[in-house]
Amino acid sequence: MRECIIKTEERDNLDIVQLDGALDSYSFPRLESTLNSLRQNNRNRVVLDCSGLDYVSSAALGALIGFARRAREQDGDMKLAKLSPKILNIVKLLGFHKILEIYSSVDDAVAKFES
Amino acid sequence: MNAGIISAFLLVVFVLALLATLLMALVRVSHANRRLRMERDALQQEKEVIFGFVHDVGEVFAHSEEIDLDRMLQRVLFYALRTTRAGAGVIYLMEPGETTLRARTVSGIFPPLAGTLDPGFTKAVSKSQHLEHMIRNQHVRKGEGLIGEVADFGKAILIEDAALDSRIPRYEEEFLHIHSIVLVPMRFLQKVLGVVAVTNRVDRRPFSETDMSLLQALADQASVSVHYAGMRESLDEKKQIDYDLNVARQIQTALLPKSIPHIEGVEMGAFAHPAREIGGDYYDFIRVDEDHLGIAIADVSGKGIVGAIMMSICRSTFRAQAPGCTNPADVLIAVDRVMADDIAEDMFVSMLYMVLNIRTRELTVARAGHERPALSQAGKRGFTIVDSPGIAMGIADMDAFEASIKPVTVPLQAHDVVVAYTDGVTEAMNVRGEEWGIDNFLEAVSIAAPEGANSVLNNVQQRLLRFVGDMGQYDDMTLLALRVLE
Repeated sequence: MRECIIKTEERDNLDIVQLDGALDSYSFPRLESTLNSLRQNNRNRVVLDCSGLDYVSSAALGALIGFARRAREQDGDMKLAKLSPKILNIVKLLGFHKILEIYSSVDDAVAKFES
Repeated sequence: MNAGIISAFLLVVFVLALLATLLMALVRVSHANRRLRMERDALQQEKEVIFGFVHDVGEVFAHSEEIDLDRMLQRVLFYALRTTRAGAGVIYLMEPGETTLRARTVSGIFPPLAGTLDPGFTKAVSKSQHLEHMIRNQHVRKGEGLIGEVADFGKAILIEDAALDSRIPRYEEEFLHIHSIVLVPMRFLQKVLGVVAVTNRVDRRPFSETDMSLLQALADQASVSVHYAGMRESLDEKKQIDYDLNVARQIQTALLPKSIPHIEGVEMGAFAHPAREIGGDYYDFIRVDEDHLGIAIADVSGKGIVGAIMMSICRSTFRAQAPGCTNPADVLIAVDRVMADDIAEDMFVSMLYMVLNIRTRELTVARAGHERPALSQAGKRGFTIVDSPGIAMGIADMDAFEASIKPVTVPLQAHDVVVAYTDGVTEAMNVRGEEWGIDNFLEAVSIAAPEGANSVLNNVQQRLLRFVGDMGQYDDMTLLALRVLE
């Protein structure tokens, strides 16, 4: 599996976190620390660009929901964009599309934050 | 005239006989009702106790880095007394070397079962303190006395009327009299870890078989945690991590069914391949009632010891809820309710629970975010994927969960095969990083489906293991299959 590369792009009032590779139990702690440092800086609006994501472990998905939940408590959110059909399928199987907002493009997710 | 008297007499006899029969029938019905009511109450009591305990254990393990064995044992004993309404109790644990036992926690006035008091007892100001000190410092050899016997044979002992039993010591002091006593072993993987003993119900009634089975259920549930906490106590930090992984595996193995129940008209089986890094798969077969069979499969998202404990909570709750309830969605909702309180924030459990009506062959499926089961119909090509909506447990708020889950019923015909699995099977990987995938999986199922459930299990297992080769897997792989017979 490809090691996950995590890039953060800061926009005015939100951050776009780009994932490229596989998010498993080895790479997940790095994403966790990225998200935690965003939260510590009071940046609670995050769009997760998943276009390069080819695998996500269930533990990582659970932690994403945890982050979204905490962000919502601070009037923020974490929205997912550009999930591959395979990962979208997993998210739907778990019923997480009822908890997380999912968009087909990063722009749509950003627009939703701004509306 | 005579004939009139005789016929009147016969009529009276007939009416009396009829009345007697009616009366007997009434008595029988009321007895049966009473028995049923008692059984129901006992079940209800067991549910409440196990729930309370499971909830408590969940709390203790929420901070798993600071598990304290004595605190855990105190809780177990608290529930043991509450469950059996006993006045006093003690928990003995096996000492290293496994030849002697020592009392680790005592509650109430528990008379020493060895039958002797030390000379200091009569002079002691606080008798109960002195007694507790004495009990805690006495070692009991395996095989010696009642405690030792339970530890040696691993079998519970119930003495309803202690006055009739020569093994019970007789003390002069009124407050040391034993009227009734229950002792149960704490077992984990065929090993006796200790003994829980309780004496004298507070209502002065003798202990019953129900008390004994409740106490055993509690001791069984507690053993998992006690085993873990007790062993961990003696290790240094570095070894604790290895140990945690090892115990997680042991717990997981202990929670899976040892054998598949034999149910007429249904052929079923399962296999489970644990991952190198501990996964959290679980499956179970349960007799719901005379006409219904329950089949469950689940995957806990958290790995390691916390995942294993969550799985144990999930199993206890499921097993307490499933009997008597034919709607699988109701059972999952009840399990979610308990899990939602106990589960760590970012963890979740996906679970599929199916209830088969053995008479009508209707299969009702409820799905909490788990992989959908596949149905291969006799004489037909391809598969029906049985879909039913629902979110994984422990992650959504309870109302959202309850609103999301909808059971779906499908009629089965003789020779139909249903398979349920965890994502470890379809996401299994080979050395080239390729995934086995749902198509390969379904093909392996469909080829063997006409030959039955066990053939499906064998075929999938063989193809899957050939595909992954030497590649260590990240996740557990679990599959279960059932076929309806003629």
